[in-house]
Amino acid sequence: MNSKIAELPVEIVMIEDDEGHARLIEKNIRRAGVNNPIRPFTSGTEAVNYLFGADGSGLVNKGKPLLILLDLNLPDMTGVEILGRVKTNEHLKRIPVVVLTTTDDAVEIQRCYDLGCNVYITKPVNYDNFAHAIRQLGLFFSVIQVPAPE
Amino acid sequence: MPNKRVKAPFDWSTLNLQAVLLTVGFVILISISAFTVFVIDRAAKDDEDLARTLSIQDKLTAVLLVARRAESGQRGYLLTQQDVYLQDYNAATPRMVPVVNELRELVRDPALIKVADRMQAIITEKLHELQRTIELQKSGNLGDALALLRTNEGRNIMEELRLLVTDTINSQARIRVERTATSQRNNMLLLILTLAGSALIILIGGTSIVLVQRNYRQAEIARQELAGTNNNLERIVEFRTADLTEANNEIQRFAYIVSHDLRSPLVNIMGFTSELEALRNDIFDEVARLTAEVATLNGQAAAAAAAAPTDARVVQLGTDFDEAIRFIKTSIGNMDRLINAVLKLSREGRRQFHPEKIDMKALLGQVAENVSHRVMELGATLDVLDLPLVESDPLALEQIFTNLVDNAIKYRRTDEPLHITVRGRTTSVHAIYDVEDNGRGIDGGDHQRVFELFRRSGKQDRPGEGIGLAHVRALVRRLGGTMELKSELGQGSTFTVILPLRWSVNSRSAA
Repeated sequence: MNSKIAELPVEIVMIEDDEGHARLIEKNIRRAGVNNPIRPFTSGTEAVNYLFGADGSGLVNKGKPLLILLDLNLPDMTGVEILGRVKTNEHLKRIPVVVLTTTDDAVEIQRCYDLGCNVYITKPVNYDNFAHAIRQLGLFFSVIQVPAPE
Repeated sequence: MPNKRVKAPFDWSTLNLQAVLLTVGFVILISISAFTVFVIDRAAKDDEDLARTLSIQDKLTAVLLVARRAESGQRGYLLTQQDVYLQDYNAATPRMVPVVNELRELVRDPALIKVADRMQAIITEKLHELQRTIELQKSGNLGDALALLRTNEGRNIMEELRLLVTDTINSQARIRVERTATSQRNNMLLLILTLAGSALIILIGGTSIVLVQRNYRQAEIARQELAGTNNNLERIVEFRTADLTEANNEIQRFAYIVSHDLRSPLVNIMGFTSELEALRNDIFDEVARLTAEVATLNGQAAAAAAAAPTDARVVQLGTDFDEAIRFIKTSIGNMDRLINAVLKLSREGRRQFHPEKIDMKALLGQVAENVSHRVMELGATLDVLDLPLVESDPLALEQIFTNLVDNAIKYRRTDEPLHITVRGRTTSVHAIYDVEDNGRGIDGGDHQRVFELFRRSGKQDRPGEGIGLAHVRALVRRLGGTMELKSELGQGSTFTVILPLRWSVNSRSAA
């Protein structure tokens, strides 16, 4: 990504309450050769504050190239709620959202896509598969285009 | 519930009172009838008596009359000597004895018999006197005849007869009056008794009606109470069922959440163990490099001596490290499998079923085909006999029977070729399927255990987590059915699946 928009690297906003998972995800993304900044959040509230700013309008992040990595099981709110708010916000709705969670419930997956999630990935329990999946996600990150700032 | 039952003792006493009343009523009715019959019979007898009395009177009068006719004929003849009177006499005399005889036959009363006997004697005497005078007259001895007459013998006889007849008639009349009075009294008594009895019966009938009504009301109240209790029961059952369903769902959710949440830390443990393993090589590389550096600093000769024990220690450390990591990884693998099993079960518990009419023979044919390769390899046989149709979820049934057949193959005996038979039968509401094998069998004490999660029985020489039968039983229960097991160690096993013939919505609530 940084190769395409060199002047403003895409920031990965990682919302994941389990710090171990966060660390493993980061490690494996790095192993894929992705060097974009990663901003981790362990609670939904913190992440929402960052994304929508102090006034809650989302204006602070208008035009900033972001990518959200979202876990659905958070202690203070559900990832689905965050997804819904992001996708209905005027300034944030074009941000690609990757849902990365342990839930593989068909209803949940459908709901996330209905709300506008761009990719839904189930975390494999087996670590090798997990590492592999994250590395592939990293590869994916290195090629996807995020919307250009207006 | 504090609901009272129908009060049996009270009911019985009411019944008894009714029975007593009815009995009394019947007794009164029967008495009235009997008395009526008696009185009527009596009246008939009275009538008969009266009729006889009247005929006796007639006969008595007739006796007197015929005697008088004979006498007047005799007197006329004696006076006039005309044959006309003789003819009268001749007509009357032959009737005299028969009439008295007829009277004698009529009477029953001893007093009257005596009277009749007496009358017979008088009549005979009179006849004798008459005949004598007539004989004398005929033979021309008119004087003798008149002399005979003048003795007043004939008149005395007639007087006696007349008195006898009059007395008898009078006494008969008195008896009749007495009898009539008695009969009237009897009739009056009958009337009174009938009226009294009728009144009593009406009273008893009224009481009975009241009692019956009271009984009916009580029965009605009891019935309503019972209906209320039943309603209550139904509601209680509904509540309990709802509770159970709720508890069940709770367990399902619990199982799902627990298994789900356990996976998260497991990913970390696994992840960082892998990271540790990766680090291990780095660390040992570093150790080797440092050792080498130290060796170069201390000079080659000393290094050669020192390097060997260090190397041995490093190798030992490496082995220990690998062992520890291996145990951790194996345990994580086991835990992962168990969690997956729980997750799978809880997922099955939430699955929606799509019931349809299933040709079980075809379904089992499919199951058999899936294992045909293994069956052939083992030289085993798998017979699917005629199976009844059932309305259920085909996918669930395929899982159930695949599991059972797989188990039969898995736990076969090595000393005998495996033989599996699937047979079916029906009852009025159930379809029953047996999966029978001649495998190693299950010890009697373990018949429940084999259906429990993570539990296995017998020799643990086959891979598995102990979830197959737990899963099968959970599925069968959710389909509204039950499972049975007949087995003896070393004698083979028969797993029986009992399913409802018709699908009902309720079957899904059970897990």
